[in-house]
Amino acid sequence: MLLEAKNVSKAFGSFLAVSGADLTVDEGEIIGLIGPNGAGKSTFFNCLAGDTLPTTGRVVFDGKDVTRASPEAHARAGIGRTFQVPATFEDMTVLENVMVGAFLRHPHRNDARDHARRIVELTGLRPDQSGRSLGTPGRKRLGIAQVLATEPRLLLLDESLAGLTPTEVQEAIALVRRVHQTGVTIVIVEHIMDVIMTLTKRVLVFNQGHVIASGTPEQVVRQDAVIEAYLGRAHRRPPPGSPPQAGAS
Amino acid sequence: MKSSFPPYLRIVLLAAALLAFPLVFTGAFYRDIGVTFLLAAISASAWNIVGGYAGQVSVGHSMFFGVGAYAPLLLYTLFGWPPIAGIPLGIAIAIALAIVIGMPTFRLTGHYFSMATIAVAELIRIFVGTWDFVGAAIGLQGPARARGWWDLTFRSELPYYYIFLAVLGIVLATTAFIERRRFGFYLRAVKASERAARSLGVSVRRTKLQALALSAAFTSVAGSLYAAKTGFIDPDSGFGILVSVQMLIVAALGGAGMLFGPLLGAAILIPLQTATNTWFGGGGSGLTYILYGGIIVLIARFEPGGLLELWHRIRPRWSRRAHAA
Amino acid sequence: MVAVQVIVGGLLLGAIYALFSSGLTLIWGMMNFINFAHGEFVMLGMYVALLVVVYIGGGPAIFGIAAAVALAVLGIAIYFSLIRHVIRGPMLAQILSTFGLALLLRYTAFWIFSANFVSLPANALSGTVSLAGVYLPVAQLVAGIVAIVLTIGLHLLLTRTAVGSKLLAVAEDRTAAMLMGIRPDRMQALAWGLSAGAAGIAGALMAIAYPWSPSVGETFVLIAFVVVALGGFGSVLGSLYAGLITGLIQAVSAFWLGAIYKDIVVYGLFVALLWLRPQGLMGKA
Repeated sequence: MLLEAKNVSKAFGSFLAVSGADLTVDEGEIIGLIGPNGAGKSTFFNCLAGDTLPTTGRVVFDGKDVTRASPEAHARAGIGRTFQVPATFEDMTVLENVMVGAFLRHPHRNDARDHARRIVELTGLRPDQSGRSLGTPGRKRLGIAQVLATEPRLLLLDESLAGLTPTEVQEAIALVRRVHQTGVTIVIVEHIMDVIMTLTKRVLVFNQGHVIASGTPEQVVRQDAVIEAYLGRAHRRPPPGSPPQAGAS
Repeated sequence: MKSSFPPYLRIVLLAAALLAFPLVFTGAFYRDIGVTFLLAAISASAWNIVGGYAGQVSVGHSMFFGVGAYAPLLLYTLFGWPPIAGIPLGIAIAIALAIVIGMPTFRLTGHYFSMATIAVAELIRIFVGTWDFVGAAIGLQGPARARGWWDLTFRSELPYYYIFLAVLGIVLATTAFIERRRFGFYLRAVKASERAARSLGVSVRRTKLQALALSAAFTSVAGSLYAAKTGFIDPDSGFGILVSVQMLIVAALGGAGMLFGPLLGAAILIPLQTATNTWFGGGGSGLTYILYGGIIVLIARFEPGGLLELWHRIRPRWSRRAHAA
Repeated sequence: MVAVQVIVGGLLLGAIYALFSSGLTLIWGMMNFINFAHGEFVMLGMYVALLVVVYIGGGPAIFGIAAAVALAVLGIAIYFSLIRHVIRGPMLAQILSTFGLALLLRYTAFWIFSANFVSLPANALSGTVSLAGVYLPVAQLVAGIVAIVLTIGLHLLLTRTAVGSKLLAVAEDRTAAMLMGIRPDRMQALAWGLSAGAAGIAGALMAIAYPWSPSVGETFVLIAFVVVALGGFGSVLGSLYAGLITGLIQAVSAFWLGAIYKDIVVYGLFVALLWLRPQGLMGKA
């Protein structure tokens, strides 16, 4: 077991954003967190990443309690995260952006640059392009590249595919697969149902702060509670074997 | 300037021009401008490390300058030691001050840091003005006549010019060294987005604190050089807000966060300041600061990156070559 | 008896601190922005009062309102011409904008009015009153009381009126406010008008009771920092208490330690606050 979150709750004032969520992640898994907007999945995600301190519960990574650890301590421990709105360093080139991450494990400039160059190649970006000139797909890719450069064992992807065209989504899915094949465990928060269906073996469905279902994607989409909460009553289940489409919300 | 110059050649030319300046312009007036220019460039380059690269805008850097200016003259006054011995003392106090201010404020947004710097600088200025041990409102004097070179008291401007130039070289070389290494990358990352930097494992608070400590140390050296050159120091010329203002405007006008930004800023402002003071006599200093205020507002409103960034933008080809190299 | 006089005098001066600091805290609360030129707004309020008295004539009510209106207009103009362009920009631009403005206003005032101390000519509020054996200049008493009333008025405006809730909505969540049909730009301009107006009238009140020179702005902005930090960043009511406390501390330390130590004590308090409770003594985290 790589990561275990037990009974995690987060309250903002009187509003309970996450209530008693549990999650265990084994090495090598890809797990999806889904749910409608405001369901608490992003708050839960931030609790895992060390960006938000949970009100109750604990998060254990690789046998160590990281509940109260800072975001930078999470990165050092091997938990990497991306942002919904990618935080690109505008004044740096793509390679330099990735080098910031690479410096975590490679303090020397040449090592960091070599390492960053390998990662940039993996993500298919142009190393010399300036951060400022990147569009949304490029920025999302760069966000993944930056965090990969910190050599995480667990990668937390926060809607890394939102706002992409169907073609770009397919490219991004291929990228996530490649990353997974290098041995990185992945937890992915995603809006797009089809992405979750194609990528993950196991999903957690959030609604109003609670985990309302978990299991394989095929199992959860058949549960009435999930259909109602997340997909809406009117949603018609796609027939098996239909091509994946973007934008279930 | 032709765009085909490789960067190192430009630096060699710049260095040669600075080395030759006082030999070409031998008049005391021009040499004095040269020395003032170098001092402004040193302190603004020091400010640039934390204010420009790390994006933590100090408006009270005079506290470090003043500490550096007082330390040598205090040791001379108390023990008759050569002023040069006070430089390490100034550095040590400046770093301690940096920690006192940085530790609490670097947990918060940049505004807190700016407020704290101006308040502490003012606190020290008023306090020093009441403290007899450091000469209160009158200040301190250095050796009237040099007992040896180590007193750093010369009749001619020339030794000062070359000492200051050497120190400027050290400050710029250190900055250039940092720029290319992990610390420099971290500084730029912290400036761009603290949240993103932290997610990549950057210890933001420590990075900012290190930048402030380094910047404070260099600023203190600038203060020591100033005291050695003028031979006396009082609360206003050491800790006054206008000392901070000059560092800020010199760096911001040329280009904060860029290696040669402060140099460019000093090259424009110091002659300008000399001109307004000459043309308008004693009342000119007031006019200088109206002008400074206006320039600062215009930079903030239209070109926060300063003139160097403007230049890089309007000459994209030139810029691309510089980056690729 | 002297002690009582010192304390009352400190509280009355503190009331004026509270009034102009409430303007600074309003901007901080609305936009997370520090106005380094706020002390210069107070200083300009003082000169507006002087100019009105000398060239137009009229009592404290006239020049007080004139100072408030003049500075409110200036504040709104500064918002539209400068602040709204830098607020989303880099930190450097945010700090430089009002810092440069402070220099510009301060040294322009030096240029126009010279560095000499001035005070308002004798008026209806000259003279002293005796309250239970404590002698107080009428001007100080009136200025202090008016300042308290105005600060409470500003607090009520923010908490009890429709305009106030719109202002707070923008402070709370800009996007949500926009969705509710509030125009954040207008509200922020209004906040700048209120903030500078409060500084202006505080300046006019200060001018009734104390002499001044163009350099007072620098002291006032630092005092406002202390008050805002003490009262909790963004809280008008907090700045009322904190202003009174700051005035009191100043008066007491001036009396027992000597006049030159009053600012040292107050700025020292600010540094201590940053270490102990950076979110402000009465502020929420």
